Amino acid sequence: MARAATTSDGFNAIAEPQRREILVRLRSGERAVGDLAHELGMTQPQASKHLRVLREVGLVRVRGEGKLRLYDLDASGLLPVKEWLGGFEQFWHESFDRLDEYVQDLSRTRREDGAHE
Amino acid sequence: MNDTADREIVVSHVVDARRDVVFEAFTDVRHLSRWWGPDGFTTTTRSFEFRVGSEWDFMMHGPDGTHYPEWILWREIVPPERIVLLHGEFRDDPNAFDSFFTFEELGDRTRIVMRTVFPTAALRDEAVEKYRAIEGGRQTLRGLADYVTGVSNTDR
Repeated sequence: MARAATTSDGFNAIAEPQRREILVRLRSGERAVGDLAHELGMTQPQASKHLRVLREVGLVRVRGEGKLRLYDLDASGLLPVKEWLGGFEQFWHESFDRLDEYVQDLSRTRREDGAHE
Repeated sequence: MNDTADREIVVSHVVDARRDVVFEAFTDVRHLSRWWGPDGFTTTTRSFEFRVGSEWDFMMHGPDGTHYPEWILWREIVPPERIVLLHGEFRDDPNAFDSFFTFEELGDRTRIVMRTVFPTAALRDEAVEKYRAIEGGRQTLRGLADYVTGVSNTDR
C-alpha cells in the first residue's frame, strides 16, 4: 500500500528510543554492530535493522573493515531536526560548548597561578 | 505533577572542568563575555555586578552585525551550586523569564542544568522563535558536526 515509510526521514528515525540510544553511543566514535547490540541488550539483527534505518536517512555511515561493519555518526541527517529544534536550546548548548573551551584556559591559569586570583 | 512542563525548557550540558571553575566563569563579566552566546557572537557590557539584586546590562552582537539588547538580574547566587537569574531584553521587561542553573559535580567534570520557566507557553514559543532567528543563517554543517559529536579529539 502507498503509505510513507515511518522511517523516511530523520524525524521519524529518531522518534524510536532505541535508535536515539544508538546515536548517543556513536557520539564517542564508530562502533561495530555487535558491540552496540550487546550494550543495548538487543539481538544483532535488531541492531542491524535500526542501523539500516539510520543509514537510510543519513544519520549514520557504515564502512566495512574485514568482516566487521563499523558504524559512525553522520551529522548531516540531523540538520533538519536541528533547524526545527533550533532556537533557545541551541543557543545554550553552543554557549556551554564555548564555556567548556574557556574554562579549560581558566583551569590552566589557576594551576599556573597557584593561590593567586 | 509538574505544572510548568508546557512553558519550560531544560538544557543539560556536561562541561569538562571542576565545578568551582565552571561556577567562576559565571561570576565575572570578563569571563562571561568570553563564552556567552553561540560561536561568532560578542557582547558589549554597559554595566555588570555579580550580586543578588544587581544587573548585567549588555548588548549581544551577532556575526551578521545584528545587535540584541540583553538584561540579566541575578536573583539567587549559591556558590558553587546554583544561580537563578531573570533574563530579559531590558530592565523591567514584562516578558523576562527565570532561568535556574544548577552545577552538579561529576568528579572532575560538571553537569550544568539550566531550567528556564517562561511566564506562559506562548512566551516560551516566542522565545524559541526569537532565538531561532538569532541562530538563523549562520549554521554550518561543520558546526553541527561539532555540536553532535562533542569537542573534537584534536582539541585535547
